[in-house]
Amino acid sequence: MDLGLLAPEISLAATAVAVILLDLFVERKGALAIVSVIGLMVSAAFTIAMFGDPAQVSFNGTLAVDSFALFFKLLFLGIAALVILASVDYVSKFERFQGEYHALILLSALGMLLMATATELITIYVSLELASISLYILAGFLKDPKSTESSIKYLLLGATASAVLLYGMALVFGSTGTTQLGEITQQVQALGAQGVADNPALVLGIILLIAGFGFKIAAVPFQMWVPDVYEGAPTPIVAYLSVGSKAAGFAVILRVFSSAFGLPDWLSLDWGMVFAVLAAIGMTVGNVSALPQTNIKRMFGYSSIAQAGYLMVGLAAMGVASAGETIGQSTILFFLLSYSLANLGAFIAIIAITNKIDSDLIEDFSGLFKRSPLLTLGLTLCLISLIGMPPAAGFMAKFYIFGGAAQNGLLWLVIIAVLNSVVSAFYYLRVVKVMWLGEPASVEKVPSSGALRVALTITCLGVLFVGILPGFAMKAAELAAKMFGI
Amino acid sequence: MLADFGFVGLFIIVAIAFSALLIILPVVFRYLKIVPYNPNPIKNATFECGMETIGRTWVQFNFRYYFYALIFLALDVLAVFLYPWAVELRQLGTSGFLGALVFIIVIVVGYLYAWQKKVLEWK
Repeated sequence: MDLGLLAPEISLAATAVAVILLDLFVERKGALAIVSVIGLMVSAAFTIAMFGDPAQVSFNGTLAVDSFALFFKLLFLGIAALVILASVDYVSKFERFQGEYHALILLSALGMLLMATATELITIYVSLELASISLYILAGFLKDPKSTESSIKYLLLGATASAVLLYGMALVFGSTGTTQLGEITQQVQALGAQGVADNPALVLGIILLIAGFGFKIAAVPFQMWVPDVYEGAPTPIVAYLSVGSKAAGFAVILRVFSSAFGLPDWLSLDWGMVFAVLAAIGMTVGNVSALPQTNIKRMFGYSSIAQAGYLMVGLAAMGVASAGETIGQSTILFFLLSYSLANLGAFIAIIAITNKIDSDLIEDFSGLFKRSPLLTLGLTLCLISLIGMPPAAGFMAKFYIFGGAAQNGLLWLVIIAVLNSVVSAFYYLRVVKVMWLGEPASVEKVPSSGALRVALTITCLGVLFVGILPGFAMKAAELAAKMFGI
Repeated sequence: MLADFGFVGLFIIVAIAFSALLIILPVVFRYLKIVPYNPNPIKNATFECGMETIGRTWVQFNFRYYFYALIFLALDVLAVFLYPWAVELRQLGTSGFLGALVFIIVIVVGYLYAWQKKVLEWK
C-alpha cells in the first residue's frame, strides 16, 4: 500500500473538502473558484511528477498507475479546470449554493480520476457512481422545471444503467471467479473458445457491460437521455457532461475491454464487431437527428451522440486489430483530446453568448459577428474542429481514427463515418452561417469575464496546436496506449 | 454451469407460481362458495380498533425531518465503524488510527456544513 501513488486523488479530495469549508465561513464567493482551480493544478502537478515512472499496481491490484491512467487524469483535471473557469459568470448569478457547485465538480472529477486508474470491477463501479451522482445533482442545479426534469431523467436512467452494469459485473464474476481485470483475462483464456461458447452467462455479462458503459458514453441505443438532459441542465454542466463523463466512460471501456477481454483474438473480434455496428448506428442517428434541431444545446446533445459513434470506430478497430497492436487505443486517446478541446471551447463560447441573449435558440445567435467578433471566431473554430476540417484538431483526429479502422479491414465503417461527417457539416455550418451572415437583433456587445476569456483562449489555441502540430499529442497518446494493461 | 442456473430458474418458476396461487385462491374460493360473502359496516371498517381517519389521508408531512434522518445516518455509520476500530486499535497501529481520523474529519465537515446551513435550527 503506497499512498504516494494516490497523491492526485487525495489532494483533489482535500480541495473539495476545503471548498465546502471555505464556502461556510467566507463571504466573498469568488475565492471558491480560485481555490478549486489551484487544487486542480496541484493535483495535475502530482500527476505530471509521476510521468515516466514505471507502471505500478497497488492496493491489492485495485488501482494501476500507468501512463494510460496519467494521460486521462491530466485530461480530466484540465477539463474540470476549464469548466470552473468558464462558469465564473454563470455561477455569480446563483444566490446560494456556489460552494456546493464547485465542490461537486471537484468530487465528480475525483470519480473520473479513479475511473481511469481502477483495474478491478468493484472499484470501477464505485468510482463511476462517485462521478455520476455528483453530475445528477449538478444537472438539477437551476431548480427550474426543465433543469429538474433533466436531473430526474438523468438520475433514473443512470440508475437503471448502473443496475445493468452491476448485473453484467456479477455475471462476469460468477463465470470467472474474480473481479480483477488481469485475472479475468487469464480465466477467459483458460476457458477457450468452446468454454466461452458453452458459458452463456459470461457472454451475457460482457453484453451487459457494453450496455452499462454505453450509457455513460451516450452510445446508441442508450442515448435517449442525452438531448433532454443537455437541454435542461446548466450550460457549464452540459459542457462538463459532454466531455468529462464521456471521456471517463471511454477510459473504463478501454481498460476493461483491452485488459480483461482483449485476449484471445476471437473474443475481441466478437465485441469489436458489436462496437462497429453500434458506431455505425450511433453516428447516423446522432447526425440525422441533429439536423432539424433549433435549440443549440439540444443540437449539441445529438452531436455528442454522433461523436461517440466516431469514437466507437476506434473501439471497433481495437477489437479487430491483432493482439499487441495499439492503433485503436492511441487513436481514441487522440480523438478524445481533440474532441474535449473543441467541444469545451464551443460550450464556453455558448455560455458567454446565452448569458447575454438569454436564449438557447440558434436563430437568436443571428449576427453575433457584429456584436462580438472574438467569441464568434472561437465558436467557429471549434465547430470547424467538430466537423473535422483542417486546420483544426478534429481533422487530424478523424484522419487517425478512420485510418486506423481502415488499416484493420473496417473500410465499410469508415465509408459510413465519412458520409456522416459530410451530413454533420450541414448543421454545424448552419450555426456558423447564422452568426456571420445574419442580422443582429441589437448592437449591444456580449460581455464576458476574464476567466471565461482565458478558458476560451486555451481551448482555441489547443485546437489549433493539436491540429497544426499533431505529432506531440499523437506521441503522448501512443505512449499512453503502449503502457497499457499490466 | 447451466445446471446450477437451472436451480435458480426452477426457484423463480416456483416463486411466481406460489405468488399467483395466493392471489387466485381467494377468488376461486369465492366462486366455489367456500368463502361466505355477507358484508356489514363493522366488517368493512378500515381498522378493527382505533380512530377512523377524518378528511383525506394524503397529507404533507414536514419535510424537515429528512435533514435529521440524513445527519443521524451519517453519524450512525460512523459509530458502526468506530466500535470495531476502537476494540482493535492497539493492533492497527498508527496507520489504522490515522485512517479512522480522516474518516471522522470527513463526517465532522458534513456536520459543520449542516450546522452552518442552519439545518439544526427548528423554525
